[in-house]
Amino acid sequence: MSNSLKRKYFGTTAAFVGALLAATAAGAQEPIKIGVVTPLSGSYAPIGKQVRWGAELAVKEINAAGGVKGRKFELLFEDEEANPPVAVRRAEKLLQQDKVHLLTGTVNSGSTLAVGQVAQRNDRLLITTVSYSPAITGTQCNPNVFRVNANAFMQSNALVNWLVKNVSGKRYFFIGPDYEMGRSTIAAFRADVKRLGGNDVGAVFPPLGAKDFSPYFGQLRAARPDVIMTATAGNDTVRLITQMRDYGLLSDELTMAGASGAVTQENIGAMNGAADGFAAAAGYSVDLDTPANKKFVAAFRAAYHADPDLFAADTYGLFYLLKQAIEKAGGTETAKLREAMRGMKWETPQGTKQIRAGDHQAIMDMYIVRIDGDTFRTAGKVEGEIAIGPDKCEQF
Amino acid sequence: MADALAYLHFVVVPQVIDGLIIGVTLALVALGLTMIFGLLHVINLAHGELYMLGGYAALALIGWGSGYWGALVLVPLLVGLAGWGLEELGIRPLMPRPDRAIVTLLLTFGVSLMLRDAAQIVWGTQTYSIEAPLTGVVEFGGVFLPTYRLLVLGVGVGAIAVTWWLLYRTRLGAVLRATAADPAMVASLGIPVRWVYAFTFVFGCALAGLAGVLLSPIYAVFPTMGHDFLIMAFAVVIVGGMGSLFGAVLAALLLAQVHSIASLWIPPVWAQTLVFVVMLLVLIVRPAGLFARLGKA
Repeated sequence: MSNSLKRKYFGTTAAFVGALLAATAAGAQEPIKIGVVTPLSGSYAPIGKQVRWGAELAVKEINAAGGVKGRKFELLFEDEEANPPVAVRRAEKLLQQDKVHLLTGTVNSGSTLAVGQVAQRNDRLLITTVSYSPAITGTQCNPNVFRVNANAFMQSNALVNWLVKNVSGKRYFFIGPDYEMGRSTIAAFRADVKRLGGNDVGAVFPPLGAKDFSPYFGQLRAARPDVIMTATAGNDTVRLITQMRDYGLLSDELTMAGASGAVTQENIGAMNGAADGFAAAAGYSVDLDTPANKKFVAAFRAAYHADPDLFAADTYGLFYLLKQAIEKAGGTETAKLREAMRGMKWETPQGTKQIRAGDHQAIMDMYIVRIDGDTFRTAGKVEGEIAIGPDKCEQF
Repeated sequence: MADALAYLHFVVVPQVIDGLIIGVTLALVALGLTMIFGLLHVINLAHGELYMLGGYAALALIGWGSGYWGALVLVPLLVGLAGWGLEELGIRPLMPRPDRAIVTLLLTFGVSLMLRDAAQIVWGTQTYSIEAPLTGVVEFGGVFLPTYRLLVLGVGVGAIAVTWWLLYRTRLGAVLRATAADPAMVASLGIPVRWVYAFTFVFGCALAGLAGVLLSPIYAVFPTMGHDFLIMAFAVVIVGGMGSLFGAVLAALLLAQVHSIASLWIPPVWAQTLVFVVMLLVLIVRPAGLFARLGKA
């Protein structure tokens, strides 16, 4: 508590001092205040850190190059603690006390939905760069909410699109931890496999944190799958994949694939190469071989001595969208800004993105990353138009 | 036909072998439980926590540098020692009471809660994993098995064989069986029945400790690990016949197979329920279990 408070006040003070300095430098030009409600403490803090770094790097670059028609960006951070009620309180504070022009940073999908309503009541926009839930730009879409990162549907759809084109076998088997997230991820995979012509040969749902997966291998062997898609994460993935190896279930004929959180930098080392060839889809991969990405990665590493991940890349890209949209709208007035962003195309380290006017979801290319030993390598790309799927938003 | 054979070979056989390994470890826990009941008429509800102690003792010993093999030898001795403490301080003073079945049940239940909480205080609620000492894979005829599971099978079968030899081929075993049949007569022959009881209790606990070390690399170590396993062990003891050694081993193998084979078609979590359905059926048809008690056969 005291730590996060200290950090918060420090952040606010620093931002305030920065604003004063910026104001003196740029003359009487009013800064563009961006409220960043993101987890700065708790288990999602590493995500919040990447969001913060991505935002700060973009703002530093844009302000150094003269800002947006002379106006500078100013960032105000608040800790959402990945907790919707807290996020709502902090967002209210940013909107009413600090008078920010726009909100971003929410991570937890529940926070994004709740803060979106707060933004709507205050006639401001919220743009998420992290939340996955398809509902945010689907069944629960909101005219004041935009998303510039890939949602869960796009990840699953892109992955299955790539698998049906690149794996000759058509038999798909699914493994998901037995709770809401695991079940819904597997349901999405199965729907995509069915729609795209794969053959669903069964699924198992071991409890979250299962120690021994061997009782499940009987059903797995009987299904004779060509592809196994998993929604496990962390140590569950480690146990699943190492036990599959120990029972002789991994082979060159079997393709392992899964949600982007299944194999990560944190658990890849524990598998001793057993995860080799594992495929996942993500909106960003640090090894993307484009000049824009190389420039971004070099600047990021120089500033923070760490690699950017998808959260940093999506947040970084957002500020270039804002710059372009504010220039086009001629200011930060919400209605004009919304109109300007609808259908807008802009350049990011991930390639060209475009906001779909119908649901405010960014259309973006999806990358297939495969594991090669202990590193992730980009193995393919699925065009944004294919990955994004139908517009399910009916509210506007 | 070829398809059916392939199904048998690559699907059923690995599942049966996996069930066999689980069955043998289940038999280790159930053997101790049923021996103690057969001889002392004590239902040891702390048995699962002694299994848990086996896991934590292995964790501590390996942490202090004993290595896995050192832990495999030392842990049953340590858990046996803990069992001796429980017998000496808790069970023995209650043995002369006519209602000892019920008071020892309450005592061991209390002890099980204390041990579980103690483990939580000392080691916390998190799950610890123990590295398996053997990491390779063994293949025979297209069926793959982790080498460590074969070790578990070997040690488990060995421990069951030693128990059988001790009970049916040694003088000590003869005394044990005689005590189960008629403790008053054995005492009148000048044999210290007290020590026979203590030995049986300690030996049963050591078996639980051994199962704890053997299974900790597979199931990991956490405070409620014993509780989950004990429920299965009780089903085994009830199906096999309370107090029957042969029954416990056979029922352990049988119930593990029911679980394993059923898992081919239904989720393994439901298959666990099926095990208890089998237990209920046995209780309805043969309330005394499949086999007779120790000392009655």
